[in-house]
Amino acid sequence: MRNAVLVPDALIVAAAVLALLAGRFSWLSASSRRRLPALAAAVAVVAFGLELWVGATLSTYFGGALVQDRFALFAKAAVLLAAALAIATADWTTEDSIPIGVAMPLLAAFGVMVAASAGDLVALWAGLELAAAAGVVMVSLRRPDLALRSLLAGGLASALLLMGIAYLYATTGNQDIAAIRAVLLGSAPSVALAIPVVLLLSGLAMRASLVPFQVAGLPAGLGASPLGSGLAVGLIAAGAVIVAIKLGAALLPISAVYSPYLEVLAAIAMVGGGAAALAVRAPRTRLAYLAAGQVGWLVAGLVTHYRTGVGASLFLLGAFVVAATCGPAVLGRAEGGEAAIAGLGALRPARAAALALAMLSLAGAPPLAGAFGELAVAAALAQSGHFALLALGALGWILGIAAALGTLRTIYLQSPLEEGRRGASAALPLLTRLSSMGAVALCFVIVAYGLLGNPIMGLADQGAQALGLR
Amino acid sequence: MILSAILAASPTPTPVSVPGSGIFSSPLLLSLTIWMPVAVAAALSVMPNPRGRYDVLIKQIAFFTNLGLLFVLFVAYNQFQSFVPTMQYEEKVPWLAAVGVTYHLGVDGPGMLMLILSGLIGIASVLASLGIRERVRPYFALLLLAQAAVNGAIVAHDMFILVLFWGAAAIPLALLVFGWGGPRSQVAGWRLIGYWGLGTAALAVGAMTLYAATGGTSFDMDVVLKATLSPRIQMAVGLLMIVAAATRLPLFPLHGWIRDVCAEAPIGVSVVVTGAASRLGAFLLLRTLIAAEPVAAHILGPLLAALAALTVGYGAVAALRTVDIRQVSAYLAMIPGGVTVLGLAALSPLGIAGSVLSLFAGGLAAALIVGACATISERAQSRSLLVLSGLAPRMPNLAWLLIAAALAILGVPILATFPAELMTFFGAFKTQPIGAFAVALGLAVGAVALATLLRRILFGPPNPDAPGVSDSSLGETWYLALLAGGLLWVGVFPGGPTIPGTATPLFDPGMVNVMAAGISEIASPYTGPSAQ
Repeated sequence: MRNAVLVPDALIVAAAVLALLAGRFSWLSASSRRRLPALAAAVAVVAFGLELWVGATLSTYFGGALVQDRFALFAKAAVLLAAALAIATADWTTEDSIPIGVAMPLLAAFGVMVAASAGDLVALWAGLELAAAAGVVMVSLRRPDLALRSLLAGGLASALLLMGIAYLYATTGNQDIAAIRAVLLGSAPSVALAIPVVLLLSGLAMRASLVPFQVAGLPAGLGASPLGSGLAVGLIAAGAVIVAIKLGAALLPISAVYSPYLEVLAAIAMVGGGAAALAVRAPRTRLAYLAAGQVGWLVAGLVTHYRTGVGASLFLLGAFVVAATCGPAVLGRAEGGEAAIAGLGALRPARAAALALAMLSLAGAPPLAGAFGELAVAAALAQSGHFALLALGALGWILGIAAALGTLRTIYLQSPLEEGRRGASAALPLLTRLSSMGAVALCFVIVAYGLLGNPIMGLADQGAQALGLR
Repeated sequence: MILSAILAASPTPTPVSVPGSGIFSSPLLLSLTIWMPVAVAAALSVMPNPRGRYDVLIKQIAFFTNLGLLFVLFVAYNQFQSFVPTMQYEEKVPWLAAVGVTYHLGVDGPGMLMLILSGLIGIASVLASLGIRERVRPYFALLLLAQAAVNGAIVAHDMFILVLFWGAAAIPLALLVFGWGGPRSQVAGWRLIGYWGLGTAALAVGAMTLYAATGGTSFDMDVVLKATLSPRIQMAVGLLMIVAAATRLPLFPLHGWIRDVCAEAPIGVSVVVTGAASRLGAFLLLRTLIAAEPVAAHILGPLLAALAALTVGYGAVAALRTVDIRQVSAYLAMIPGGVTVLGLAALSPLGIAGSVLSLFAGGLAAALIVGACATISERAQSRSLLVLSGLAPRMPNLAWLLIAAALAILGVPILATFPAELMTFFGAFKTQPIGAFAVALGLAVGAVALATLLRRILFGPPNPDAPGVSDSSLGETWYLALLAGGLLWVGVFPGGPTIPGTATPLFDPGMVNVMAAGISEIASPYTGPSAQ
């Protein structure tokens, strides 16, 4: 039973590798190729079920490099659910390659799962880099120029992370997360400690495309196929937040070093994300900025340094990763700007509902998943006395809601484009049984996440407790 | 006459059960008021409606849902135990235990009045929306969702749940304004989002402050609103709640949305917004400031009275200077809100009782004036007061209903606003004399505005160049008559009709008897010599 914990990870990697091999060596007929997304989504759902079933076993692997605890269980389950839903909801006619399109979300999910269960700094870094690499591959399929840009930006982020890790290792003499915390318990905050932490956080902010660090990474991510955008906006950002949560727990004894920096980051992201989402009209970009704003809320939860706050962040992370990863996927091509989704509610009701709910959830509109998470973070902020941050979050929330309502108005209240004027960039998503089922499932998850939130919140709280927070 | 009205409005000292009560009961009664409209809205939104084939059926479903809801609420009203200070029909289930959120619902007397108001407004809004021809399915689904959110905010007994429903109400209403409004509906919709968003943010921050100040263990109102807080925290929370309430009710200077929304939204939406959704503002003040933070209430009382006076005065003066009939009605609809807040600012049992009755009566009066003016503008094919003239002979039904609306705003005897305003002023003149005088002055200006309006459009010389005019349809007459009838019923029988020769209520336990449950507890910090 102990090794069964690794079965979900193994399933995901095996499915990704098989999909890549099948694509490379043309093992699949055209009809089998069309069934590949359904198969991949089924594998991800099975892995999700297995994770919930066997993931409760607490154990360590590979000499402590991987740790299975409640935090890992929650984060891995959320990521697997997001990957399954994203693959199921995607419009596969708009993806550049089915085998690669199937494999990369699974590999990205695996990367985030490794980061979630990482016991040392190397595993943290490796997991995040794997997820980011999958994103670059997705971008390169459509826009090699943007992929290069993304690679450069990712390289910079990675370099910052590595330098931070190296500094931290040099300062504490450890790379094991639990050991670092134990060493730091006796240390006073100092410049020598502040440097690596700021480097680490900057690298993570770049990886999460957090406003104002979105300049390099986000446009590249948005240039990818819908599923690729979902990876950049959702899964990779979630990976960066997961790494930040784990590092935050390890660096808790010297929280004074990085708290002000985190507060500023969170404030800029919450307000900037909402303002930018309101300023743009293109639905995919708006969705990305709403997601960036919600990452600000996730970071705000970390500012509290309490179990309640981190638990609330973790709860919000589940809502975020599902909505942000699946939102672009369900949006489909929609490169023709806002007009592409005008009247989508009448033409593709299930997809329109899923898109609307994903947007509203990212904006924190009640009573959806994101609202429950953001209010839980807000409660933690109030509890820890961060009222200025709470007020700024409320401001960002108003802007985000207004932005999301703007898109809802387009989806439901505007007339659809005439078929003659609907070019390839505004092509309607193809209706398939899988995508319709995926859209309905996404709607259910976003609505039920908050309404049935007690066990999920309880698990998130246990996850925060597993990190040693009080 | 005044004395007899006060006596009529005095609660019966001993509760007597109403014949027929107990025919229906459910432990999930309050949940039903929230989730039944949500379930019907969800069903409507997936119901196939090719080329509008089932438009009529959809309207019927929305109507009968509201009728069913009103029946459930009427049963709840009948079974309500007057003079019991505790919450009734309580439902309490842990929701997000880790942060102390409980699915806690419950109503006291004021809450019951608000629920009945919401039920009446709901059915009136559906009747007012029978003329909707475009995108009927999403319209009624959104209307039901808005109604569910309003009901949720009324019955919520947990601050977290209150914030959720309070915020949720804005989304369907804004979409209704965007999608089915007039030419300036975009401006109106954005203003609604902006102001109500600001109010929701203020409420959320206030709720979080209360949560943190009471130990951060629970959002339950029994915990956060019953704790003894420092005056500083009480002031902070009180100011935030005033901002939240002022954006919703609305109160001057946060009233910027009401003119455009009432002028541009479809009639049914205007009725919901002014009749029920906006009353949540005063209800919030009653719950979170007056009932829970007595120190802050004493300090902020003059501010509330000033806001009430400015609101009534501004509404009346603006109504005098406007030539668009729907904008005039929007300004006039601000007046009952100001009166309600004056009662709260009075911080006396009589003033608070008046403001609670004013929640109900003012909601009906505001919805009636907005609905009547909007219907007249549609039937007369013009919104300009320069064009509309001498309509009384040509639209007698609407003329009578507009007169009833005007009288209701002014609070004349036999209408429910009369005992409400009387109690409010009797309560307020003692503790907030300047504010009460200013509000009374504003009401006098409002009377001038109303008289001018009635003289111009009903009794002036007919305009030969005006477009064709027709009287209200059956649906329009019914929804306006329902609102006017509610005002008349409570005005004539504030204590409920009784079987002749006995004290047994006929079928209505009496609005003032029902609202008495809870008021004594709310007003308890303001009674006795120490309160002055």
